Amino acid sequence: MTTHGGFEPVFCTVVPPHVLDRLARNDDPALSGPAQRTLVRDSELRSRRRVTTEFRLWAGPTAKAPSEQPLRTIYDAEHRTDLPGTKVRGEGEDPGQDATVNRAYSGLGATFDLFLKAYGRHSIDGDGLPLDATVHFDEGYNNAFWNGEQMVFGDGDGEIFVDFTNSIDVIGHELAHGVTQYTANLTYYGQPGALNESMSDVFGSLIKQYSLGQTAAEADWLIGAGLLAPSVTGQALRSMKAPGTAYDDDVLGKDPQPATMDDYVRTGRDNGGVHINSGIPNHAFHLAATAIGGFAWEKAGQIWYDVLTGGELSEKALFTDFAKLTVRAARERFGDGGEELQAVEKAWEQVGVRIL
Amino acid sequence: MRIQVRRTGGFAGIERHAEVDTSGRPDAQEWHALAEKAVAAGRGVPPIGVPDGFSYQITVDGRTVYAADPRLTEEQQKLISRVLKEGA
Repeated sequence: MTTHGGFEPVFCTVVPPHVLDRLARNDDPALSGPAQRTLVRDSELRSRRRVTTEFRLWAGPTAKAPSEQPLRTIYDAEHRTDLPGTKVRGEGEDPGQDATVNRAYSGLGATFDLFLKAYGRHSIDGDGLPLDATVHFDEGYNNAFWNGEQMVFGDGDGEIFVDFTNSIDVIGHELAHGVTQYTANLTYYGQPGALNESMSDVFGSLIKQYSLGQTAAEADWLIGAGLLAPSVTGQALRSMKAPGTAYDDDVLGKDPQPATMDDYVRTGRDNGGVHINSGIPNHAFHLAATAIGGFAWEKAGQIWYDVLTGGELSEKALFTDFAKLTVRAARERFGDGGEELQAVEKAWEQVGVRIL
Repeated sequence: MRIQVRRTGGFAGIERHAEVDTSGRPDAQEWHALAEKAVAAGRGVPPIGVPDGFSYQITVDGRTVYAADPRLTEEQQKLISRVLKEGA
């Protein structure tokens, strides 16, 4: 069981300072306590860094390039909710009997591979951050999430969902939340929240395509294929190719995702519809990638990655802000008047997001 | 006592809602104690959740509080899972 005492988040450099400031003032001591301690520790570290820089003092071991290999650890929550749980597999250890553990381990490896080989990024922080994941979280838990430090996967209840490690794009999706957190840090609400979700779907899907060696034309563009229990009428949780068509089931209802701005959903639920309106930028990515052709991670993925990590994308970015930056990135990377630029411009026009 | 739970968000973004009316139930006292503790530890406004984490709205006799994964109290966790499982 998670209690305020059982799960105390340790906010290292993961949490941006303004968030820490806000948390430190929170009336919930479980949140304010660690945040206050982190702020104190950060200021100590900053002074030490300044001192060592200004006085050219020896600041410990020389900084070296981060490793080309991931540093993975898988934990087992044993159906409880204490994080991270018991360590069951470390980096370089042989596969064990538990297929869930093995899938999580190889999914983390595939994600690390795509970011390193396609974009030269060392792990989610760009500096070799260890990758931690907990499996078998809670009992029949129908979810997977990123808690700011690690991935957490439930087993599913077997009635609607099965094991959340079944889809490699779900593992990639959770890790990509980490990449976003360390880069543009898009606010998890409304349009910036839907962009945050879309980044995770885009890179989650690219990880699947990269590991299967599929071109944009060959890919299924589904998120969470293999996650729905056999009795559910549907093929996945989301479709980037055709948002709104992933499932239509008696119990689950119908996939609520819009594909274009005409069907944009205004709601306060789901953090302002972050998992709903992400269908629009998801579809734009699919349109751009399929128009360009070839392996989607090479060109469309590169453009999206440039925007996510380029430092220009604001935490409160709206769809139109993001779209404009992708147009600029396409021009800068692949040239003015190129097919990449045209494909990106046309994709946003098709989903009804203004780029002018 | 009327206890309602609405769960939103999560990786799938699929909403669930259920409620339990404790009147006439033999275990009503147990429900009341659990609900009171869960509400006492709730927030007046929805807390900032983690990416893909579930958000919860707990309403007991018309009073609504909010909570989010993974920072639930033991009572909130127990109440939420019981209502979603046993409620209609």
